[in-house]
Amino acid sequence: MKPRILLIEDDVHIRRFLRASLPTQGYELLEAADGREGLALAASQPVEVILLDLGLPDLEGIEIIRQVRQWSRVPIIVLSARDQEREKVVTLDAGADDYLTKPFGVGELLARIRVALRRSLQDREGRAETFFEVGKIRVDLEKRRVFRAGEEVHLTPTEYKLLTVLIRHAGKVVTHRQLLKEVWGPSFVDQGAYLRIFVRHLRRKLEDNPARPAFLLTDPGVGYRLRAPEE
Amino acid sequence: MDMAVEGKGHPEGTPAGTEEVRPRLAVCLPPSAAAPELVRAAHRRAAALGAEWFALSVETPEQARLAPEGREALLQALELAARLGGQVAQASGVHVGRAILRFAREHRLTALLVGRSRSGGWRRLFHRPLAEDLLRHSGLEVVVLPVPEGEPGPAAARSAFAPSRRLLAEYGLAAAGVALVSAAAGLVSPWLSFTGVVLLYLFGVAVLSATLSRGPALVAAGAGVAAVDFLFVPEYWSFRIAYPDFALTLVVMLTVSLLISGLTARSRFQARVARLRERQAAAMYDLSQKLSLAADRETLLATAVAHLEEVFEARVSVLLPGADGELRLAAGPPLPDDVREAMVARWVYRYRHPAGAGTATLPAVQALYVPLGPPQEPVGVLRLELPAKPTAVAEILPLLQGLARQVGLALEREELSRQARAAQVEIEAERLRNVLLSSVSHDLRTPLAVIAGSASTLLESPGLEDATRTELIHTIYDEARRLDRLVHNLLEMSRLQSGRVELNRDWHDLEEVLGSALHQLEARLQGRSLTLDLDPDLPLVKLDALLIERVFINLLDNALKYSPEGQPITLRAFRSPGEVVVEVADAGPGLPPGAEAQVFDKFYQAAPGRHRGVGLGLSICRSIVEIHGGRMEAANRPEGGAVFRFTLPLTEDAPQNGREMPQPEGGPPHEAPYSPY
Repeated sequence: MKPRILLIEDDVHIRRFLRASLPTQGYELLEAADGREGLALAASQPVEVILLDLGLPDLEGIEIIRQVRQWSRVPIIVLSARDQEREKVVTLDAGADDYLTKPFGVGELLARIRVALRRSLQDREGRAETFFEVGKIRVDLEKRRVFRAGEEVHLTPTEYKLLTVLIRHAGKVVTHRQLLKEVWGPSFVDQGAYLRIFVRHLRRKLEDNPARPAFLLTDPGVGYRLRAPEE
Repeated sequence: MDMAVEGKGHPEGTPAGTEEVRPRLAVCLPPSAAAPELVRAAHRRAAALGAEWFALSVETPEQARLAPEGREALLQALELAARLGGQVAQASGVHVGRAILRFAREHRLTALLVGRSRSGGWRRLFHRPLAEDLLRHSGLEVVVLPVPEGEPGPAAARSAFAPSRRLLAEYGLAAAGVALVSAAAGLVSPWLSFTGVVLLYLFGVAVLSATLSRGPALVAAGAGVAAVDFLFVPEYWSFRIAYPDFALTLVVMLTVSLLISGLTARSRFQARVARLRERQAAAMYDLSQKLSLAADRETLLATAVAHLEEVFEARVSVLLPGADGELRLAAGPPLPDDVREAMVARWVYRYRHPAGAGTATLPAVQALYVPLGPPQEPVGVLRLELPAKPTAVAEILPLLQGLARQVGLALEREELSRQARAAQVEIEAERLRNVLLSSVSHDLRTPLAVIAGSASTLLESPGLEDATRTELIHTIYDEARRLDRLVHNLLEMSRLQSGRVELNRDWHDLEEVLGSALHQLEARLQGRSLTLDLDPDLPLVKLDALLIERVFINLLDNALKYSPEGQPITLRAFRSPGEVVVEVADAGPGLPPGAEAQVFDKFYQAAPGRHRGVGLGLSICRSIVEIHGGRMEAANRPEGGAVFRFTLPLTEDAPQNGREMPQPEGGPPHEAPYSPY
């Protein structure tokens, strides 16, 4: 059965171009032109991924996310304009899984959808990965060892914890707050400096060129994203 | 009330030495209950003559000691004068007569009106009646108005003689000094001639005069002579003088003593006046220096308040009228919770006359209020809460008014230059709007034309080869991206220009910010040589990551645009004292000579027409760097090509690499086997 995607978007043209592209990529598309219709569809039909536009005429994006999260863990990918960084972060912290900035290419969108589907599959099956591998980097999650191009890399406990949190969310953005909370604890959510310093250390140990990272990517103003193996 | 006119100098109605059509007169108000009556009389007289008139109060050191009743009466009189259409004015000085004469000269008065009463305040303060004094020196018409019997405030008269506590202490000191000298003289008298005793007393008087004010010094001189007479002149223990030559000695001693005390007191007074004047001049000069350096209104006010607080050792506030004309606190500590304070402030602003603590007007409040700026047109009110008892207000008032005037003028100047700047900005904005419209319409239309053309080709030509189709689709995609960049730059610029940018500053790693900029430029960097030279020990910098990323993008984009393919681009970032410096250097043709500063202007293009874009990129860079407190500059490299450099200030509290980092909360992560789910 084809995975079903719910698109909540008021702009006809964006809906039209996604209607043209997503079905050809093996997805079934449900469309909603406003927030209420979207919520009604999400509640009445099983969907695998929700694509949610942030500028809906009737409901705030964050309101829709809260309502959906009351009954469902379905991945939500937020579509937003470029200058809405704060709104993006708020929606991500409120439970959205990922975001895409308009204008976006179909390639990018498909990659995000694939990541979301893989993660929700893993969620359902409750299967713990023992290895994580992307590019030259290989992490043995049982033995807690990290290799780069076959050579072992030594990480401090904090660096390792940061890396495992990113691995757990591989392919999707993790906001600064989420990372600080998961690695350092809830009282450190405003200490962005710690995060920046440890990300720098991780990049120096894992990346070929830390100024042009290939794995540990920056989402400016939002957070970090570890490249997913399938990207 | 009957009006007795004593036009001693000149016949009434023909003022001396003036061709003025309209007479100007001033009524000099004493701080007594008679003042309101004098105002009414002056009003009647001025109305009869069709004259312009002033209600003049004089601030003197003596007046500061007057009782509240007298001040209250004076205040009422001034308010009455303002109601009756007179101008409220004030003269201050040590000497009432001279202060009035100076005022008369400055305001080209034709007549002076003074009150005369049997027991009024004026009389007690002068040896000669004031009117006579004025008449003799002014050459003006002086009109003496009688004041009703019994009215002059007894309180005023009494308090005029009530010496201050300090003065009482000085009299005590004078008595004690003479007693001490007497004791010393008594002890050494067996070995001392009478002349020696007299000299000892003279010495004592001289020493006392050097420290005491005039009155106590004179008392010391007299007491000394009396003590010599009583103790050392036969008959002893009596004021009787047995031999006439002793009497002569005593007379000489008295004369010398009085001369010593008088001269010493005068020279000390003069020295004090000179010191005061010097301090005033220095304070005025200092303030004008400081004010001329203040860049904006806030700094100016803060500078003025700090300066006045230093000079007067007082708590200083500035009140300025808002758009509705109501006075509001503009600088300094807020007013106490007392409705009278605000009332006095309004009164001062309205009647352009100092009032409040220590003055004759509304002294019940805690602070002294003076108008700010030129007396005819005050721009606000200055509030001074003086620490000590406000007896010295009359002394500091001339300086205070001078300084207040300076501050007011500086404020006015600032306001005018702000208006001029605003007008300039308005003109500039208008010009920019025009340039923007023409430039944007061109730059938006070009990609739109390409997109529309390519799309219509795809729609209407079914027989296209696959390669051509792909090319057209790529063109559409590229042009759309370009359009997106352009719109983004425009929005960014207008956001920056509007001044509504809220900096989202946090500690960031410049390498990371650069990294995400490079990520966005990925496609354009294909096939270009970019060398990164980043100091590995760069500290974190407090910045808005998205905005600084925009700076990197625009600078690199600019370098890519203006330097030929195959030529290297270098990006360097290093630390220098107090800041981080970032340089983007290219090996292109460099900047046109003299255009080093111009390149940051909006819509500037080094080679118009050759490159696409509206010339906003560098201008955006500069705006962003400047709101971060950094500098942006461009130069030509000696080896060819241009270099763009910007700095970001470093603060002392920048977090260092990994040191002082807290460990995660809870147990160390390696204690339990890790499972991500």
